[in-house]
Amino acid sequence: MLFFSYFKELVGKEVTVELKNDLAIRGILHSVDQYLNIKLENTRVVDQEKYPHMLSVRNCFIRGSVVRYVQLPPDGVDIDILHDATRREARGA
Amino acid sequence: MIVGIMHFTDRIGEGIGQPRFDSVGGEELMHVQPGVTIALGRLSPESPGTLYISNRRVIWLSDTDRDKGYAVDFLSISLHAVSRDPETYPSPCIYTQIEVEDAKDDEFEGLDAECPDETYLSKITEMRLVPHDPNQLDTLFDIFCQCVELNPEPLEGDDEENSWIFGEDFSDDGDQPEWHLSEDLANPIGQVNGNPDLAHSVLHLQINDQRFEDAEEMEDANHN
Repeated sequence: MLFFSYFKELVGKEVTVELKNDLAIRGILHSVDQYLNIKLENTRVVDQEKYPHMLSVRNCFIRGSVVRYVQLPPDGVDIDILHDATRREARGA
Repeated sequence: MIVGIMHFTDRIGEGIGQPRFDSVGGEELMHVQPGVTIALGRLSPESPGTLYISNRRVIWLSDTDRDKGYAVDFLSISLHAVSRDPETYPSPCIYTQIEVEDAKDDEFEGLDAECPDETYLSKITEMRLVPHDPNQLDTLFDIFCQCVELNPEPLEGDDEENSWIFGEDFSDDGDQPEWHLSEDLANPIGQVNGNPDLAHSVLHLQINDQRFEDAEEMEDANHN
């Protein structure tokens, strides 16, 4: 649940979601659920030459299980809070 | 298991009919959208049909040909989006990406002999659904979102993948001539006092441990 709680804090910020099929989509994080399904708005594909057909997409819903990485905005990373949260998670496990 | 897009012909009722759902298995119809054209991969769009969305899958049935229909599980849909830019696609549509298995699978080779079309379908990674009324796009998008959330990833998938990888390692190591050559050199790993038979049985022991329970691995480590 750590990732879910953390991603919820990032709603409204810009993130880049990289899929396991190498497609990377940048957009405003609209919502995230417990399965880490991700809904993005104002999206644009990072490598537009390789994926021209994705140009027209302005919002999209990505299945959590196909996500490889989520690149975070630097101002969305509060190291102290993350440290605390990971320690709590480790104790709980 | 990820199966991608499949043919769907299981209709019930008179006339053009409607899909038969797995109601015993808990499948429920969520939404019906008439007047939808489907375009698979780079194939040209089909004649109009009707879209049935259940809590498990998306089914499209042709309005004119009772034998023509497609189905895809929400588990196979990795991404869906509303596409409105006429430059990338002439009609506003729901754009989806479909997760497909590696085409080298034995099961697909079997299908290939019987029905090559099915193999082709299982490799398609994009599907577009074009409602004749573009105002329905946002509704359809939202229904897709709800349904994906009803279909989280089954948990046992990872275990299956691991045992498959171990299985391949086993056959590679066991059958390669390098293994026999190495017996003539200095003691290979697992060979005790130059006795190849013992080494061989140790090899088998280790492989069996990898494929079975953690507890046996622990036990083996203690003996060593």
